[in-house]
Parts: sequence; structure tokens; C-alpha cells
Amino acid sequence: MFQGMNFSPASLPSSVAGLRKEVRAFLTEETEWQPNSDFNAGASPAFSKRLAQQGWIGMTWPTRYGGGGKSFLERYVVTEELLAAGAPVGCHWIADRQSGPLLLNFGTEEQRQKFLPAIVSGDCFFSIGMSEPDTGSDLASIRTSAVKVDGGWCLNGSKIWTSGAHLNHYMITLVRTAAVSENRHAGLSQFIVPTRDPGVTVRGIDNLAGESDFNQVFFDDVFIADELVVGEPGNGWAQVMSELAYERSGPERFLSAFRVLAEFVRCLQSSSDKPQRILAGRLITHLVTLRRMSISVANMLENGEMPDTQAALIKDLGNTYERMVPELVRLQLPEQRSQALAAALQECILHAPSFTLRGGTREILRGIIARGLGLR
Amino acid sequence: MHEDQMLVADAANRIFTEECPPEVVEQAESGIYATGLWEILNTNGLLLAGVDEANGGSGGSIIDALIILREAARRAAPLPLAETFIAGQVLNHLQQPMPALPITLVQGNFELSPSGHLNGASSRVPFGRNCQSFLIAVNGANRQAPQTISLCLVDAGQVSIEQGNNISGEPCDHLSIETEVIESHVFNLDRQWLNYAELLGAAGRAVMMAGALEEMLQLTVDYALERHQFGKAIAKFQAIQQQLAVFAGEVAASKRAADTLLESAELNALDVAIAKARIGEASGISAEIAHQVHGAIGYTREHRLNQLTRRLWQWRDEFGNENYWQHYVAEIFLNDAAGELWQEITELKV
Repeated sequence: MFQGMNFSPASLPSSVAGLRKEVRAFLTEETEWQPNSDFNAGASPAFSKRLAQQGWIGMTWPTRYGGGGKSFLERYVVTEELLAAGAPVGCHWIADRQSGPLLLNFGTEEQRQKFLPAIVSGDCFFSIGMSEPDTGSDLASIRTSAVKVDGGWCLNGSKIWTSGAHLNHYMITLVRTAAVSENRHAGLSQFIVPTRDPGVTVRGIDNLAGESDFNQVFFDDVFIADELVVGEPGNGWAQVMSELAYERSGPERFLSAFRVLAEFVRCLQSSSDKPQRILAGRLITHLVTLRRMSISVANMLENGEMPDTQAALIKDLGNTYERMVPELVRLQLPEQRSQALAAALQECILHAPSFTLRGGTREILRGIIARGLGLR
Repeated sequence: MHEDQMLVADAANRIFTEECPPEVVEQAESGIYATGLWEILNTNGLLLAGVDEANGGSGGSIIDALIILREAARRAAPLPLAETFIAGQVLNHLQQPMPALPITLVQGNFELSPSGHLNGASSRVPFGRNCQSFLIAVNGANRQAPQTISLCLVDAGQVSIEQGNNISGEPCDHLSIETEVIESHVFNLDRQWLNYAELLGAAGRAVMMAGALEEMLQLTVDYALERHQFGKAIAKFQAIQQQLAVFAGEVAASKRAADTLLESAELNALDVAIAKARIGEASGISAEIAHQVHGAIGYTREHRLNQLTRRLWQWRDEFGNENYWQHYVAEIFLNDAAGELWQEITELKV
């Protein structure tokens, strides 16, 4: 059997039951936002601040940086509860999931002390700068570059599709710091770029749903001090790759359409239509299985493993599922349908194209899975 | 899986790999019953795992039996193993000794008179011609105990078989019966236990499909690496890689759904429903891709691939197809009026 296809059953520690209750109690007090289970759909600095006050940002990080010292499985429970309820997690999402762990793995002590407590307190948000106008899936082809100057680097270029850059404080930006050599993956570095620096211009791009949550970001002779380089200059590719298991295996990869399913099921309480119920059952069997796979991976991460193939499998299966939910539900709408279902469905269909693009396209993921199968 | 279950899996895997090569399956499909393989399994105690030793079984749990079925399915073992497993469980529950094997539980249209005259028929009995014993479920409730039904144990000499087969190519016969049953061979079985026997069947088919799917993925990957076209292995083409990645996703989900059944001490009906529905869905998609990648050679009867795909097409329809179990899952979630969907999902064991 292929190693990368192992999803050993893992149980959630009994301690999470109380935590889950606390999160639910917290959420019942939250009434200011419209629920949407797409992690990228809602961003509220005020909500992120309230969440931080509960200790639910940076939960797994060491307490000496303000973190909660909790397990990945405890974090898992908090994140899945937030997504299922449709909370506006957009502001702190990247910092909590990715930027913080990156700094813990590769950052300097000074960087950790500066950024981690600020993320934990809900005062510092991050974006990711990878894609460029001429670079999407072929990440090694980026052209945004920096040249060494006294005490730091001079950065020029542009990033695109940068979610939340207009709200966030920093973006972890992948930059070419040495000319392209035979090894295309060499010469790349990760910088912590302050998005509010005068040399940084953030320009919103409207998406097809008519919202402006992603941006093009321009760097014009931006000075990046040496203290803002993450890890070793030139080690950027390996560092980016190490984030992928965190980025791709979580509940946000299959819960984006959850509000549609939840509202559909609610409407079916008063309908005994068989095809509708069969569809609800089908969507639930997928969801339960995906969740079990995803928790297996959270447990592997907790044990220090790097399950990249499993993460790609979850994201690909999960994204396929997220896109299937609205397409099938729209064909089985109950006669007595709620306004909430109609609204969730419309939102979901409008955002669905992004599900299989963001964080690694379907085609890239399937390439990774194929490598896991030994085909490449 | 626990360590002793891994040992069971390894032992079973070794025996099926050595003793059930594709030729054995081919022979069985040409009408020669695999008696030799059956005897080897018998000698190794692999036929009646989960049946108490006191009743003539090999002890252990039904999980051991499910693990053995999964290993058997990887090699498309052409024997009534699941059938014997289910009937064995029923007899074990009734504290009855095991009769001559193989045995199968038969439902259909059967009547039993007060004097012990049994007659009726069932149109689809897998491996009917090969079974030595039959447990016949009589229609309708017992007059004295309405929550039970009567089960009659009869032997091969008491039934008439008309041969047929199903989509898998395995025997699936018409059975008719007109016989006297002695009193000690008539048992009362709780109706609930008859439902439980169906659940055992669904669980058995779910893990068998998961095993066959894993094997089929391995076969297909190996073939893609070995088959050359346009000057390179077809595995190097993105069109093939993308299809195999989808296949792998379906197999990974199936394996996870099946493993859930093997993790618990006893069967949870909802988990069986989820596994049977999810793996059934995976079977169709996976068989399609496996055949597409194999090309015409996989479509030939002699190729091993279709020993697996034909069985998947059969098993996904037995003991409740996808829609049957999807509806069952929906009913459980929807009839719990107090519960919100999310709350119910998080209450399930992961």
C-alpha cells in the first residue's frame, strides 16, 4: 500500500468536549455577522480580537510567546467549530494557521518575540504573498526580487491574489534573492513585508461575486531589514513546502459549503421527499469521512510528521466535495425552502470557483498525489 | 488496528496471496469450485473467526472475521466466505454447533407448517450450489412470539438448485425447497437479529470493497508504469496522473471508512451505513478509471483487473446499495429533531 495514503484513525482527546462547549457558548453570544463557512468570506478585526481574548489564536504555540501550549487536536476543534458556525475568521486565519508556525520553525528568537504575542492578542494579521501576475502554479518562476543593501534588502516587484492585504499588517512574501540558476528552487527567500510601508501599494481587485477581498500588491524600492528575513536567505522554497501540510489538511478544505448543507438539512425536517433525503445522506457520508481523514492528519502533525500526500488528498477530495454540494442541492431544493438556504446557496455558488484554486489548484494537488503514487 | 489484528491481517494476506492466484479465480469462474483453497482456509482457522470455540468456531471477534474478508477480497477469493461468516454469526448467537460448511442464510418466500413442513423459494442465493447447509428464514412472525421469526437449518440434500450467476460471474442460484424439518433444526430468532445479520453483510461487503479497491489501485499504478506509448510510460502523462490521483482519493476515503469499522469492538450501524454508501460510490468511480487506464487489455476476461471490478459491481448492490444507506443515514440525522446537524456530526466517534 502506498505510504501517503495511510490515514490512521485518531481519536480526539476527551478534554476537547469541554473546549467545544466553550466555543459554542462563545458563538451563541456572537450576533454581529452573517454566517458563512468559507474561511475567506468574512473578516472582522473586532471578531478576531474577541476570539483572541478567549485564547483561541495561536493555541498550539509555546506559552513563552503568549501561545496556549495546546495540541493540534484542540486547535482543530476550535477551528472546525468556527467554520461550521460560519464565523468571520478571515483576519487572523493565515497568521494563526501558517505564519506563526512558520516563525516557530524558521524564525529568529527576536522575530518570534516580536510577532507571536501580537498575533495571539489579535492585534497583528498576516497575508501570504506567493502568486504574481505571471506566476501561479509554477511558483519557482516568480520575478519579485530583492538585492542586498546595507543592513537589509531592497525589494521590487508585485504579488497578486493576496487575500486580506488591505486589512492585514504583514505579508510573508516569497522573493527571488539570487539569480535563477540550474536549480530553479534555489535563490528564493521569505520576507516579512509590512503592508503599510510607504513603498507598498495595495490595490483591491473585485472578484466575480462583486467583493474586494483580494489584491494586487506592488513593491517599489521597499527596504526590508535583515531582521525581517525568515530563516536562511535562499531557503525559501523548502520553507514554503514545509507549510503545505498545515495549509492543505484542515477543515477549511471541506467545510466551505457547510452552511448550504446545514440549511438544506434544516428544511428537510419538514419534508419526507426521498430523493432529497438521499442527497442529504450522501453529502453527510462524505463529510463524516473527510472529517475523519482530516483529524487523522491533525494527529500526524501533532506527532511531528509531515503528511504532504495525505494533505493533498484531503484538499483535493474536500474541494471536490465543496463544489459538489451546491451543484447537487440546487437540483433537490425542497418546496418549503428557507431564505437562509437560498442565501447560502447563492453565496456558495458565487465563491465555488475559488475553492479549487486557492492554496494549490486541483491540478497541482493531483500532481502531488501522483508523485505519492510513484508515477512521477 | 490492534497488534493482534495486524497479525490476523498479515497471516490471512499471506495465505490468500499464495493460495489464491488469478488462475484459481479463473478456474472457479469456469465452474470448478475452489475446494483446495477452502480446505486451506479451514485448516488455518480462517472460515469461522468470531465464532466461539465452544460452537465449533476459531474464537476471536467479528473484527477478525472482517479483516479476513478484506484480505480475501484483495485476491477475489471465489468462495462463500461472507455468507458463511453471516450464517455462522447467527448460529453462534443461537449457541448452536456449526453444521457442514459452507453455509448461507437465505431469505425469500418460505413457509413452515406447524408440523414442520418447509416449502418455498429464493431467487438469488450466492454460491447456492456450493453450500452444504442453509439457514432458511421463514416469512412472517411466529404466532407464539411475534418479535421472532423461525429459522430452519437444512442440508444440501433437502434443496433443489437451479444454476445462475450474477454480474460478478460468481454462482447465484435459484433455490427451492419442499421438505420436512426436524424440530431440533428449527430456531426462533429475534427479528432484530435478522436486521443485524443484514448489517453484518453490509459491513462485510464494505471492507471487501475497500480491500479490492486498494488492490485495484496498485494494479493500475503498476500497469501505468509498465505500459509504454509515444516513447514513454503512460504514467508520465498528466492525463493519466490526474485520473489516478482521483482514483487514489476515492481509495483513501474508502480505506478510512472501512478502517472505522475495524477500530470498534462492535459494529455501529451508522458507521456501517456511511462505509457501505461511501465505498459503494468510490467503487463505481474507481472501476471506471482503472479500466480507462488499462485500456482494452483490462476488458479481456483473462486479465486480473476484471476479477476485481466485476465483484465491486456486485458487492456495491448487495446488502443495500448507496441510495439505500444514504437514505438510512439521512433518516438518523433528520429524525433527531433536537439535534443540529453539526452537533450530531461532532458526536460521532472519529
